Amino acid sequence: MNALDAVEAALAARPVPGTPRPFTFPLASRTRLSGGLSLVTVNLPGRPLISASLFLPNGAVDEPAGEGGATVLAARALTEGTLRRDAVALTEAAERLGASLHAEAGWDATVAGVEVPAERLGAALALLAELVREPAFPQREVERLRDQRLNDLLQAKVDPARRAEEAFIETIYAPGTPYARVAGGRRETVATLDAVTLRRAFERRGDPARAALVVGGDLAGLDVGALVEPLFGDMAPSGPGAAEPVPLPVVADGLERTRVRLVHRPGAVQSELRVGHMGMPRQAPDYHAVTVMAMILGGLFNSRLNRKLREEKGYTYGAGAGFDFRRHAGPFSARAAVNTDATVPALTDLLAELYRMRDAAPEEAELRAARDFLVGVFPLRFETPGPIVASLGGLVTFGLPDDELDRYRPAIDGVSGADVLAAARAHLHLERLAVVVVGDADAVGADLEKAGLGDVEVVRDPDLSAEEA
Amino acid sequence: MTIPTVRYTDERLPNGLRLLVSEDHLVPVVAVNLWYDVGSKHEQPGKTGFAHLFEHVMFQGSRHVAKTEHFALVQAAGGSLNGSTWLDRTNYYETVPSHQLELALWLEADRMGTLLDALSQENLDNQRAVVKNEKRSSYDNQPYGTWQEKLFGHLYPAGHPYHHPTIGSMEDLDAASLEDVSSFFRTYYAPNNAVLSIVGDVDLEQARAWVVRYFGPLSANPAIPVFDPHPLPLTLGGEVRETVPDRVPLPRIYFGYRAPMLGDRRLYALEIAAQVLAGGKGSRLHRRLVRDAQVAQDVAVFGLGFSSGPSVMMGWATVRPDASIETVEAGVFEEIERICREPISLDELARAKALIETDELGALQRVGERADRLSMYATLLDDPGEINRQLERYLAVEPEAVRAACAEVFVPDNRVVLTYVPAEAAADTTEAA
Repeated sequence: MNALDAVEAALAARPVPGTPRPFTFPLASRTRLSGGLSLVTVNLPGRPLISASLFLPNGAVDEPAGEGGATVLAARALTEGTLRRDAVALTEAAERLGASLHAEAGWDATVAGVEVPAERLGAALALLAELVREPAFPQREVERLRDQRLNDLLQAKVDPARRAEEAFIETIYAPGTPYARVAGGRRETVATLDAVTLRRAFERRGDPARAALVVGGDLAGLDVGALVEPLFGDMAPSGPGAAEPVPLPVVADGLERTRVRLVHRPGAVQSELRVGHMGMPRQAPDYHAVTVMAMILGGLFNSRLNRKLREEKGYTYGAGAGFDFRRHAGPFSARAAVNTDATVPALTDLLAELYRMRDAAPEEAELRAARDFLVGVFPLRFETPGPIVASLGGLVTFGLPDDELDRYRPAIDGVSGADVLAAARAHLHLERLAVVVVGDADAVGADLEKAGLGDVEVVRDPDLSAEEA
Repeated sequence: MTIPTVRYTDERLPNGLRLLVSEDHLVPVVAVNLWYDVGSKHEQPGKTGFAHLFEHVMFQGSRHVAKTEHFALVQAAGGSLNGSTWLDRTNYYETVPSHQLELALWLEADRMGTLLDALSQENLDNQRAVVKNEKRSSYDNQPYGTWQEKLFGHLYPAGHPYHHPTIGSMEDLDAASLEDVSSFFRTYYAPNNAVLSIVGDVDLEQARAWVVRYFGPLSANPAIPVFDPHPLPLTLGGEVRETVPDRVPLPRIYFGYRAPMLGDRRLYALEIAAQVLAGGKGSRLHRRLVRDAQVAQDVAVFGLGFSSGPSVMMGWATVRPDASIETVEAGVFEEIERICREPISLDELARAKALIETDELGALQRVGERADRLSMYATLLDDPGEINRQLERYLAVEPEAVRAACAEVFVPDNRVVLTYVPAEAAADTTEAA
């Protein structure tokens, strides 16, 4: 056999997969501290870097519109000093433990956490407790964080993806409702934030069922319950403070008809595209069918959008689509950054793929590819403690049952083509779309008008230097 | 604290493929990581961006795999995958559930052996368009997007293999031909120019059998051109400054220095210096410029290690709208001068080491990272055992070593300073036109 024949003989037959080794989501133990806070522990032998996170129910969605950005900034301020020590001393104490101490908030929760080698877990948890139980919200640091956020908003104006995101959400949601702004807040409200509003945001009471301390890693020889009881045992699970709960916010659809908005970016060599509308909440009963549908449309590398816009047309480095699942209806968007010349052709193809998703059930092969990916990638997602802790915390944040992660793979595997079609028809509202283009209006405006998607509103951002004043 | 030792086997197939296998059965996943000893440094004048364009072509099919099928098969197997190109190398990797290892190996072997069977003008043109859009997305349409091209352009003289950016130029991408693809493949994509690492839930004998079966018949290229190092003086020999008007609201100062090559122990001292200068809220620059004086929005300092010429130590500071560029720059360089003059404190050193230790522990948890590092050290330093020596090399650094390494590298006549300033005038002109 010559060399070429040997290559062919070796490679001609595709391998068939072996037998999967069983994988189940690691077993978590659930208990309550004396004050009622839920403690979730998950022992992961061989993982000496422990991940510990406290999930609190304070989310940006619950803050008053006039204080937009307060919750996100409050979380950021937690690491800026406690009643016992200032930010530098706090940081140095964590660094001496080799611990990264962090706190952040999003729409649905505030999360403070630490990653630390197992032998220093106790000391790191004490710092975590200090952070969330005795925050100082020092005025000087709060004002600095506020100013940094304002500067960050300036930078967002010239980042095409961030500018598109901002224009997209303010188009799909009714003005004044929470998701119409980014979670970190807009300029007008961020500028008014101070230590008092931040403390109020952090101390806002929430549903006690939506708080938990989650600790994961190699816990051999560690009594986590005994470590955390003195630190968090007397903590009220409804949140750190005593402020009254706020009524649930109204997240309202802002689209009565299709709106086309073109944000002028002079000389841009690409157009950043966002097409979509208000989506659906995480707790929706057809979550799994929608997840499979979104994979086929814009999740996999060979999703319909990426195959068409990238691998057939070469219009973009990558196209995708998906639902941002939150407690209330987050956005659904399809996205791509395309070369300026391709703006209208790419939009046309993108819209055609959205419609095709509603026309007929997916082909068997693409349905199988999406399901097999979501089911098969499960053990990869949960290789290390960080993602395991985050997912267990997510169950708490979203009020999902304890066995949600165990049910995930059978539920995905059970999604049929008819389910995908039903999900597309129920959740893609193509007659009322936001079409946002961040690009050179002089180059693409006329073609966009002619495309007949709707009247084109051109948005011209104020001069950057004027805005700084 | 002890970091678990990565145990691995190291062997070569008769055709020169270097195979590293490391078993770890904690989770039923396995990583495959294939490094080819070819990067943008191998590109000839007029053909910049080619190594990266070629990486895209590697996903366009081979004799037994259709266009885009590589991604489709790995994703349907529940895997994650990609490829990447950098100055010194190109790598391809998959992490898959362990019962799908054979598929990943077969896919890599099929394209190493038979890529040209599937090559077409249509696929090349398509990926050329994709890469040009990658360049637009990642560089041309990004605020401060030109910094890398400018910084490297100044740190390495014209004609040096690190002078041009990996993404290349639009003109050169346009000029790439099918013949270029074929000859690049025949030259560099051979088993004796590659390191294959397999890490995770795998049986060594089984892995070896599959590798021998799929890669064994592939022919070596006996004529891979030797790439000689392109040494340069450790210092630039004079400060280079450039002011860059850009569509940005906040000015930003980038600074870069030539540094010792990969494998040089001084790089560990410089990494510790980077941590002390700008690693987190306790660092000197953050404390001085962001927290106390409140003149900077953010600061960063880090190193990029290279194997055929000087590495780069670099960083940036973004200037707040109400602050002066000069104040921020003076603050940055005063702190850099101080770290060249006075040894860091033992507490600073201990904190930096503790954080590096945790980072190492975190990174080495993942089979994908372990496979990547084994391939990297084998390819760039011819010694995969370096994976187990990194932490001790950091822990061996003393304050005086940090000072001495800084004093060699962080000198004014070794630095490039790029100052990005808001281009208001330019924007106004465009609006008026």
